[in-house]
Amino acid sequence: MNRLMTASLLALATALPAQAETFRWAATTDPQTMDPHAVSSAPVLGFLNNVYEGLVRRGRDMSIEGALAESWEPLPDGAGWRFNLREGVTFHGGEAFTAEDVLFSYQRASSEDSDVASWFSPVSDVVLVDDFTVDILTSSPQPIFPDSIANWMMMDSGWAAENGAERPARDAENYATRNVNGTGAFMLQSRQPDLETVLVPFDGWWGEVEHNVTEAVFTPIQNSATAVAALLAGDIDLIDPVPVQDAARVNDADGVYVLDGIEARVIMLGFAHDHETLLNGDPNIFADVRVRQAVSHAVNVPAILQAIMGGVAEEASQLVSPAMRGYSEALSERPAYDPDLARSLIAEAGAEGANFTLSCPNDRYLNDEAVCQAIVAMLAQVGLNATLDAMPVSNYWPQLREDNFDMYLLGWSPGTFDAEHPIRFLVHTNGERLGTWNFGGYSNPRIDELLPLIQSEIDDSARQAMLDEAAQIIQDDAVYNTMYVQPLLWGVRDGIELTQRPDNFFILRWVTVGAEN
Amino acid sequence: MLSFILRRIFQSVLVLLVVGLVAFAMFRFVGDPIDTMLGQERTLEDIDRLREQLGLNKPFFIQYWDFLVRAVQGDLGISYRQGRPVAEIIAERLPATLELALVSGALALFFGIVLGIFTAIRRDGITANLVMSISLIGVSLPTFLIGVLLIYGFGVGIDIRIPFTDMTFNTGGMPTFGRGDTGEIFGWTTGFATWDGIQSIILPAITLGLYQMTLIMRLVRAEMLEVLRADYIRFARARGLGDRAINFRHALKNTMVPVITVTGLQLGSIIAFAIITETVFQWPGVGLLFINAIQFVDIPVMAAYLMLISVMFVAINLIVDLLYVFIDPRLRVS
Repeated sequence: MNRLMTASLLALATALPAQAETFRWAATTDPQTMDPHAVSSAPVLGFLNNVYEGLVRRGRDMSIEGALAESWEPLPDGAGWRFNLREGVTFHGGEAFTAEDVLFSYQRASSEDSDVASWFSPVSDVVLVDDFTVDILTSSPQPIFPDSIANWMMMDSGWAAENGAERPARDAENYATRNVNGTGAFMLQSRQPDLETVLVPFDGWWGEVEHNVTEAVFTPIQNSATAVAALLAGDIDLIDPVPVQDAARVNDADGVYVLDGIEARVIMLGFAHDHETLLNGDPNIFADVRVRQAVSHAVNVPAILQAIMGGVAEEASQLVSPAMRGYSEALSERPAYDPDLARSLIAEAGAEGANFTLSCPNDRYLNDEAVCQAIVAMLAQVGLNATLDAMPVSNYWPQLREDNFDMYLLGWSPGTFDAEHPIRFLVHTNGERLGTWNFGGYSNPRIDELLPLIQSEIDDSARQAMLDEAAQIIQDDAVYNTMYVQPLLWGVRDGIELTQRPDNFFILRWVTVGAEN
Repeated sequence: MLSFILRRIFQSVLVLLVVGLVAFAMFRFVGDPIDTMLGQERTLEDIDRLREQLGLNKPFFIQYWDFLVRAVQGDLGISYRQGRPVAEIIAERLPATLELALVSGALALFFGIVLGIFTAIRRDGITANLVMSISLIGVSLPTFLIGVLLIYGFGVGIDIRIPFTDMTFNTGGMPTFGRGDTGEIFGWTTGFATWDGIQSIILPAITLGLYQMTLIMRLVRAEMLEVLRADYIRFARARGLGDRAINFRHALKNTMVPVITVTGLQLGSIIAFAIITETVFQWPGVGLLFINAIQFVDIPVMAAYLMLISVMFVAINLIVDLLYVFIDPRLRVS
């Protein structure tokens, strides 16, 4: 009896280290909801990608791969797409995943209260061919439709109906706000909003397990100094982000390292194209393409990257970064820093000594206000007197929408990871559904003509030719002064291996917790 | 007495109504919640519909009236950010703030009074002067900095070499953020239920209480010095009473009236200004909730928090007024 107990105790002791791999991570914002269709923001969709799954998902290199669909092919004549579903998949609650759930998730995600309904604007109908085949019909050919639904997550229809969560709720709480029933590799064990969310592996997951995490604890930590301290003290295994100014210090510290990469977000300057006058009543200098081009030549992007971004960001020559689909190779060079050229362009346009306002958020992008201050100084060197107006982002968007700006800072991360996305929202003539972020009111009939063609072109090289043409027009007209792609900086404890993706989604199933050394 | 209380309650309600009105007038300047609520791909139609749905297109006094009508029925609305009832969120977060405020208030009161008496009695002693000088840190360093210094000093830790040996001693080990593990005692979620929770409250409580401690200490000292010069203390000495009786029974008791006023009002401000400490330590209380609400322009949460804080201030004032009557018998006569 005694010997038996000793033996089992020994077995327990040796088994323990391999067993308990608790992984703790922290980010600035808490995912506001656990409902995959209620809020379309990176913290929410990124977090929920660990517990819910879509028909397709993005791999480590952002490429599209099958998740709940094993394969998919376009229907003849561009009528839509057929998805062949994976069989034998179960939800965390044990329910089987079938085509019914796809139809339900479509109805839920495209309903009025959904925040992701825009993904389905080209969809005309969803047809169930059999239990494991679904046709998604579109009103026009949609070559990149599978790419655009990588974050459309599947919810069990029976579970939702049972708990009264058939529709996402915006002004009331609903069962899906705090409870999860997905098919993902992790299940929600407990959730205290704003405080702590605990995930555990789902034993019945269909995929091949690559991680060794037995419990994952997420905590939001807003203050970056606190997050860095928690990482250094060993209370947290991963923090996102490490402030640029602390990156070197964290990298030098024992037991932790900084993982850096490039995000999908391009930071640019926008202009008041269609304003009659500037805010101060002077003639609008930005209606003149030469002034906009001068700004591109006047901003010393390498200096900004070195001095403010810690040398980890990359220059951006167009509205999307090189990792995105449809990036224009021909335009990989940003207009060079050339203050003399900028001065002569300004002289030609007769805009020397013009006074105007540069609007800028101070809590939205990495070091946004510091970047704007640098830009004001650089513009002063070529004879443009910009006054900085920096404000919190909650005031910033209303100001832009009300046309209270001359020149402004904007960051754009294409939700579809495709070059068509910024053209649709930033460049197309401002309207109800298209050009909704084109605050400056730029309008070019050729762009408006190209956009629907790009959206429905099936042939890849013909599509790329049109994207190249659009990118060329945008650069020639200096519609935006694209400056750099924002860096990603994660602080990680030694011994932890993981994958950092440009969309800044933290994917738990790629984490391995190793020995600490 | 009853009419006094009734009059004070009437005044309090008036104060509350005015606070609410001012708050609702200010919310527009905090920003527009619509943009943070809707994703990147929103259409102008979505913006208009949501604004209509939330009643944000109405003038602020109508929004305030709607809020009041629902509030008196016990409905504080739904948080824009979390999509959950505000009353429920505040009930979840309030224990953390109250615990932090009470612990730091108790620390401040205890050390403030003890050190105040000490520095008053030993006015010219070296230790007393040292305490007075060090206490300047408490009033002069911003809370934010004290918090970060404590986290680095006792959370992350500094390696100190023990003299004449090769061994180093690390000063760290305290939790760097959060409230630790919590348990339930009589249905109240508390950090006192676990050792981890008790450890977690120490650094934030010191950070939050340091300023109050200094304030109380200086107040007690000044009052004590004043009283010790009074005639009745001189007579007491002449009668041959012992130091202990003079200092504690006679002098200390008479310094307590202003100390209670200040402490009472400070307790209110400890709760209200716990915001900074809570942010630095990621302490999950209502202060952190309020900061989040401001960033998101979560109007229902902001409104509920501001009302809660003003109720608290008004209530504390009322209690302090009643305590006066209790402590000072002269007020009872009139």
